[in-house]
Amino acid sequence: MRRYPRWPIHLALILTSFVMLVPFYWVFKTSISGENIFNYPPSIIPRNPNLFYYVDVWYAIPFARYFLNSVIVTVLTIAANIVLNAMAGYALTRGFRGKTFILMLFLSCMMVPFQATIIPAYLITAKLGLLDSYLGLALPQFSTIICIFVFKASFDAIPASLIDAAKVDGLSEWRIIWTIMMPLAKSAMATNVILSFIWSWNNFLWPLIMTRSPEMQTLPLGLSRFLSYQEDTTGALYAFCIMVLAPGILLFLLAQKEFIQGLTSGATKG
Amino acid sequence: MADEDDFERPRWKVWLLNRFVLTPVILLVIALGWDLYASMNNDGLIVGRVVDAQGNPVADADVSLWIFNFTTFNENKHVTSGPDGVFTITGNPSHNVQVTAQKPGLGASPRVPIRLYFRSQNVTLKEPLVLPGA
Repeated sequence: MRRYPRWPIHLALILTSFVMLVPFYWVFKTSISGENIFNYPPSIIPRNPNLFYYVDVWYAIPFARYFLNSVIVTVLTIAANIVLNAMAGYALTRGFRGKTFILMLFLSCMMVPFQATIIPAYLITAKLGLLDSYLGLALPQFSTIICIFVFKASFDAIPASLIDAAKVDGLSEWRIIWTIMMPLAKSAMATNVILSFIWSWNNFLWPLIMTRSPEMQTLPLGLSRFLSYQEDTTGALYAFCIMVLAPGILLFLLAQKEFIQGLTSGATKG
Repeated sequence: MADEDDFERPRWKVWLLNRFVLTPVILLVIALGWDLYASMNNDGLIVGRVVDAQGNPVADADVSLWIFNFTTFNENKHVTSGPDGVFTITGNPSHNVQVTAQKPGLGASPRVPIRLYFRSQNVTLKEPLVLPGA
């Protein structure tokens, strides 16, 4: 078999990585130098790097409060996503009447953007008395269809004989999910954690609509508030962006192996 | 491979000694260490020296502290330098301040910006405030 040289692929990957990473580097560089983005010629290496813009952000707005709110809402979202999506994903691996219809319904619901359902979502949250609360902030993201399909793909890859054996041993469906399926679907779980984290952490529109008090605002709302009352924002704004981005990047770096596995598991199964 | 190893390790090690636990713990330790350092060095002290153009200490110079407030710096405190030109400002509440010194007959020094890593951080100025002279 003829072996092709690998360097063109590596070159293409290096160039792609460069294009993807330059904006991140630029944001980081500006956050430690405060250099105006329109400076010409631009400096590649930051001049007089310092961390004082991060200090400015910390004291300009109640960053710790917004961070705590974001963490609480995200933890609620992740926990609910793991439990509810695993249950739904497991149900879709079983045979039952109307399964195809349910699958089609799920797939068609994926086409409806959240903006189109935001008014009913608001009214339901208001009826439940959850406006301006952590539970209300997290509620619309408690389950996502993409993540249900990630679990379904992962559960589909587990041999049916394993589930049958568990049933013969007398395990209930509930225990089959948590003691048999979930330990074998770690990568799907990691994918769920990362995706629900990113969606919840970066969510702007829903918290904007349903929060009333400044104490309940999350980091994306804090960013817009910060923009509204800081004039010289270049360095501090970019520092704020880094502070908002850092937890997501850290989580991705920690779980990237499982994340990639979760996205590709079941990919070869019909 | 890691999963095979997991069967041989004690359960507490599997649960605790992994990157998902150790990374947040390390970050928490760093944050607590920083908080401890900040709480031990947040008396709001700013210590510096006032000298004339020849480098001689200037006594009885009026040293002002200016505090950043959204877009401008507002004057906050005044102290007087001692016989050796040394001044000590106490109770600085901010992290972004400027200091300046002046004395009749010797003029006023330029405002020196001081950026601190936390509010009320104790700091000793490396460079003295220089009065230009008459």
